[in-house]
Amino acid sequence: MNLWRSAFAWLDERLLLKDVVEFMGKKYVPVHRHSVWYYFGGVSLFLFIIQVVTGILLLLYYKGTEDLAFESIQFIMAKVEFGWLIRSIHSWAANLFILAIMIHMFSVFFERAYRKPRELTWVSGMLMFFLALGFGFSGYLLPWNELAFFATKVGTDIVSAVPIIGKPIMIFLRGGEDVTGATLSRFFGFHVAVFPGLFTLLLGIHLLLVQRQGMSEPFGLKKNRGETLKTMPFFPNFLLRDLLLWLLVLNLLAILAVFFPWELGQKADPFAPAPEGIKPEWYFMFMFQLLKYLPAQVVFMDGQVFGILLFSIGGVLWLLVPFWDRKSSRGEENRVMTYIGIVVVMFIVVFTILGWLS
Amino acid sequence: MKRLLSITLLLFFWADGLEAQKQPDQCFTCHEALGDKPSTLYVRDVHRAKGISCAGCHGGDPLAEDMDEGMSPQKGFIGVPKGDAISAACEKCHSSTTEMNRFHSSLPVNQGEMLAGSVHGRLAVSGQERMLQCTTCHDAHGVVSVKNRTSPVHPANIVRACGRCHSSASYMRQYNPALPIDQVEKYRTSVHGMLNARGDVKVAECASCHGGHDVRPASDVRSKVYPVNLPAMCGQCHSDAEYMKTYKIPTDQLEKYSRSVHGMALLQKHDLNAPACNDCHGNHGAIPPGVESISKVCGTCHALSSDLFSASPHKKAFDQRKLPECETCHGHHEIDAATEQLLGIAEGSVCSRCHSPTEYPKGFFVAQTMRALVDSLEYAERVAARLVNEAEQKGMEISEAKFKLRDARQARFESRTIVHAFDEAKFREVVERGLSVAGVVSTQAQEAVDEYYFRRWGLGVSTLIISILALSLYLTIKRIEKRQAGLKSNRTAGTL
Repeated sequence: MNLWRSAFAWLDERLLLKDVVEFMGKKYVPVHRHSVWYYFGGVSLFLFIIQVVTGILLLLYYKGTEDLAFESIQFIMAKVEFGWLIRSIHSWAANLFILAIMIHMFSVFFERAYRKPRELTWVSGMLMFFLALGFGFSGYLLPWNELAFFATKVGTDIVSAVPIIGKPIMIFLRGGEDVTGATLSRFFGFHVAVFPGLFTLLLGIHLLLVQRQGMSEPFGLKKNRGETLKTMPFFPNFLLRDLLLWLLVLNLLAILAVFFPWELGQKADPFAPAPEGIKPEWYFMFMFQLLKYLPAQVVFMDGQVFGILLFSIGGVLWLLVPFWDRKSSRGEENRVMTYIGIVVVMFIVVFTILGWLS
Repeated sequence: MKRLLSITLLLFFWADGLEAQKQPDQCFTCHEALGDKPSTLYVRDVHRAKGISCAGCHGGDPLAEDMDEGMSPQKGFIGVPKGDAISAACEKCHSSTTEMNRFHSSLPVNQGEMLAGSVHGRLAVSGQERMLQCTTCHDAHGVVSVKNRTSPVHPANIVRACGRCHSSASYMRQYNPALPIDQVEKYRTSVHGMLNARGDVKVAECASCHGGHDVRPASDVRSKVYPVNLPAMCGQCHSDAEYMKTYKIPTDQLEKYSRSVHGMALLQKHDLNAPACNDCHGNHGAIPPGVESISKVCGTCHALSSDLFSASPHKKAFDQRKLPECETCHGHHEIDAATEQLLGIAEGSVCSRCHSPTEYPKGFFVAQTMRALVDSLEYAERVAARLVNEAEQKGMEISEAKFKLRDARQARFESRTIVHAFDEAKFREVVERGLSVAGVVSTQAQEAVDEYYFRRWGLGVSTLIISILALSLYLTIKRIEKRQAGLKSNRTAGTL
């Protein structure tokens, strides 16, 4: 214990750590029946850190070219010490990361935590969510296996359905007319350089805003009714609880990685016919399934274009929700938003299940 | 009343028809008087016997006494049909059920259609007409039934009819320069050809195998001589005991072939590399291969086995005893897949048919050793495959070892070839190479299986450590909160 104190004193002498500890000690987190949702932001952060660490380790052996990508992953899994574990954790953590972000996003939505003055926190979080989907889509192709190849083909084909800008976007994403080694190179670039850079910037802004503004309190708490609000110190109480949850998530990740190692499948063959049952990752499934159900022609436009337009408008409205939900910003409870949230969650859950069953 | 009217009309038209038949055919009358070749040939023509006049094909009015009137275009006279108009003139009746019934003919009415769809129905080099017209084979005047010995398409004559084009290098060069032109020559050397030349019309001739009107290239899956269809085509005659009775040869070849490794590959897997009847017997020059040439025939595909056998001590021994080389051990039509069961001295092996501890004992013991060697390779391969499978089932990445396992299998297949050298040292070299690969694969697969259990144990240990950490963290939180609660109550008590 003395060793810790000596180390802290040594660092404090140089970095004035006591001020930071004091600052954190003055921060309080509201305690109420919905407090559990506060932890999903931290879980998302923990999973992002895991992604960065395992991603850097994979980078030591991964080769992002058409000829070597599949073989390098094979090498990582078979020859590199604990390579199988790193790759499996990276794949599982990617999925849990998106799940944690989604839970965090919906909890913020249902608690109306996006309302004034936290509009920018919501927007930065939403942009990170879109980037996380980008991470998922670009990372899925990197093993250059059969499923990833055809899923990317289908995914980028959907974009091309958009009039005027669709084709140029598709060519930009693919690096040509078809999914080739050029697509792999640019997806690799997005995945390890562009997206992490943007994400880190947004994450910094997001965390800074959270620190500046503190935790949002839901409607109907004692404080809002003029009573004293039950709280807990951010440090050490909340932070230690966060750490406890991180340890449990780490345990879950280890179990998933060992019992359900992420399969590699067959190497992509651009000349082979597409295998049956090509499906996107679960977080794109609801969109894919809706596009499948849409008729060829909706009102006056192509069914696929209509679907893309629907999701684009939905995405923009979702991003800008703090700006049009004026009632919540005024501090009034808006039940309509709860109903909208329930419909969106139900839609995502039902269409994802339908996608898996089909 | 209506019925009476119908009968009256029917009698009227019948009487009119009879009257018309009785009318002299003015075309034939004049041309016969001129003594030209068409009318001379037409005397015996099957169509004339049915009452069809020259006008049936050439048009015009056969009843008109005036030549100009009878041969005027107004009366439908077309002169000598040219190009596709020839076949069109024939098809006018031969493709019409009504017309054929009118002449009480039972001939099929799809011949024109079949010819148009056949290889002969393609465009000729002129680009104006198809390659072959009905008259090319059947002649124009003097057409007789195919059963008539004088018909150019009678089984005794058809080879000559086909050969008119197919044996002509200059003609065939225009359409298919790669197609040999010695089919007729070869056919004459075959059993079929020799019997046909002696007047036996039961034996196969060109149309028996290639079809009459619907001749297609051998590469066309619809052709009777397409490799997959060929055994059944030969079997039409050769499996018919009644039909083949006079020739005194077995009729179970197709049945045996269908069960053989070759038959199953060709007929069930549609592997066109597998031999059909013609690959061993020849096609146009079909004849059973002689004892001396069996190994050469088999050797066209199994070249390495054939060469090894020819250089082996068995070659001389087989030659002295006049034993057919491959057939003695493998049979001919009913050739089983060559497995290790054929080797050795156990029941079912072929070596023990000649070798015993007392008779030719050296071969007996070599066969015994070779069998033991290949059995050990098979066992090692099985063990390696089981371990690879187990590692795969456990989700381990084992693709490299799995790929390497092919080399062990390849060595076992190689041993099946090298066995034809009947040399223990060479055989041992191949088997030991396979054993070495199987050993490496087994080690790698076993390591993967061990790694699987190591991961399970590792997970158990790490889960335990993480759980202990989580528990101590939980207890720390409780301790801190308890202390905070104590401090808070002290402060509250102090305030009070």
